[in-house]
Amino acid sequence: MIALVRYMFTVMLLSQRYLAPLLLFVGLLAVLTSSDSGPLAATYASAAGALLVCSVWLTMALVGLEDRTHRSVLVVSVGSRLRTLLGSVTTAVLWCLLLTVAGLGLPLVFGTHSPVLADLVLGAEAQLTCAFTGIAIGLVCSRPVVRRQGHALVLALVLVLAALLAKGVSPVNVLLTDLQNTSDSTGLLGSTAVLLVVATGVLAVGAAITHAVTLRKD
Amino acid sequence: MHCEAVCKRYGRGRWILSDVDMEVTAGEVLAVVGGNGSGKSTLLRILVGLSRPTSGTVSVRPRRIGYVPDRFTAHDRVSAISYLTHMGRIRGMPGSAARARGRHLLDRLSLVGGQDAPLRTLSKGNAQKVALAQALLVEPDLLVLDEPWSGLDVSAHGVLAEFIDEAAARGGAVVFTDHREAITGTYADGAYALHDGRVTRLGGQHTAGHASLVELVLTVPTTGVPPVEVDWRALPGVVDASGRDESVVLRVAREHSDAVLLTALQHHWSVDGLARAAAGRAGHRVDSGRAAL
Repeated sequence: MIALVRYMFTVMLLSQRYLAPLLLFVGLLAVLTSSDSGPLAATYASAAGALLVCSVWLTMALVGLEDRTHRSVLVVSVGSRLRTLLGSVTTAVLWCLLLTVAGLGLPLVFGTHSPVLADLVLGAEAQLTCAFTGIAIGLVCSRPVVRRQGHALVLALVLVLAALLAKGVSPVNVLLTDLQNTSDSTGLLGSTAVLLVVATGVLAVGAAITHAVTLRKD
Repeated sequence: MHCEAVCKRYGRGRWILSDVDMEVTAGEVLAVVGGNGSGKSTLLRILVGLSRPTSGTVSVRPRRIGYVPDRFTAHDRVSAISYLTHMGRIRGMPGSAARARGRHLLDRLSLVGGQDAPLRTLSKGNAQKVALAQALLVEPDLLVLDEPWSGLDVSAHGVLAEFIDEAAARGGAVVFTDHREAITGTYADGAYALHDGRVTRLGGQHTAGHASLVELVLTVPTTGVPPVEVDWRALPGVVDASGRDESVVLRVAREHSDAVLLTALQHHWSVDGLARAAAGRAGHRVDSGRAAL
């Protein structure tokens, strides 16, 4: 698995397809969090929202990087379609972890805050919740599942909007509402951790759908 | 491994394969011939486990499979050798071993354009060589090649034939497709024709085909008299010679085996074993009696 992730990470790095989502993320952070001196929970909520969009883009780019033939060779080398998919998911998570580090650090540079540990943990939980949901959406909209790029883009937009707006259903929506209305990070740590677990479940469902569809298509 | 009543169609489309029965045995080279769009590639994808048959079964698929697709267009900026190193690592080889094996394979295929050139700058034929190399990084139990001759230059044709021979001689099964029926006689032990999604086994087993190798095990005679050293590799028909304890294992083409055997006996070697190497490790031992001189 390490070899597979290493390969996928390298290919993504060399393809430079990570650049656009990365720049968008940094740009969104700069716009949303610069000269901000409010509670960090709300700041990290906007960073998490930005990460949702960027993780979708990043995942779609990562999975769509290889054409069908190339992926076939990879699947035969790995020996299992499922393990190849898990490799893609792990690589996407790895990229999102890098973005999360940026999402935790940059708001502190752009604004004036005095962070405590609880703020940072809450920020990490919030961003990972959004990242996992975003990766799930990205997988379902990726090229092996939806062949037409236009359809994939529309589907991705609809799913991202649904994740942001579905009141009380989507972990992202619940998370953002919670974080906007609090100034006490410590009190939210538990409930956000639950949301992170729910988002992990969403990711598992997304991966399962992707696996089922690609199996049917081949 | 065998396929039984394999049928395949995508969605509600036409049947691409119907009632395909196929038997692939270890050490055998099989050709699948058929026109364009006859379902050859689909059959191969089912063999290697990329596609699931709509109905029917494929049983006992070997663990190590090498797959060479018909087109290998790469947009990657990864270099050919680094791609092979990654693929080797994914297959469980240490990085350095994978790199060395990759370089060796690319050298044999005489890749033009440089092993360190990005994949996407390679021409079709050279990309095909990389595809071939990745399938042979580990010695495959099943080697599946989709139209391997198309796109390769003439000098690489010979190397490809060698690769097929070596894979079969090691006891691996080889299946390849081509649209020319003539080619099957040269390279394959057996052939299937694919027409309208149905396969028929073509006649004409090549008993004295290319894959007929004889494995000859020679030792020091029981009398203890040391035999005369012979440069085995210099003899005609000797494919491989390796030492094992006090004995020597030779792999000889069938048509030269008698001459090599005679040479061995004349130089006071004792015959410890004689087997058909093409039938794999479970070859029929013809004579394991010690014929001391």
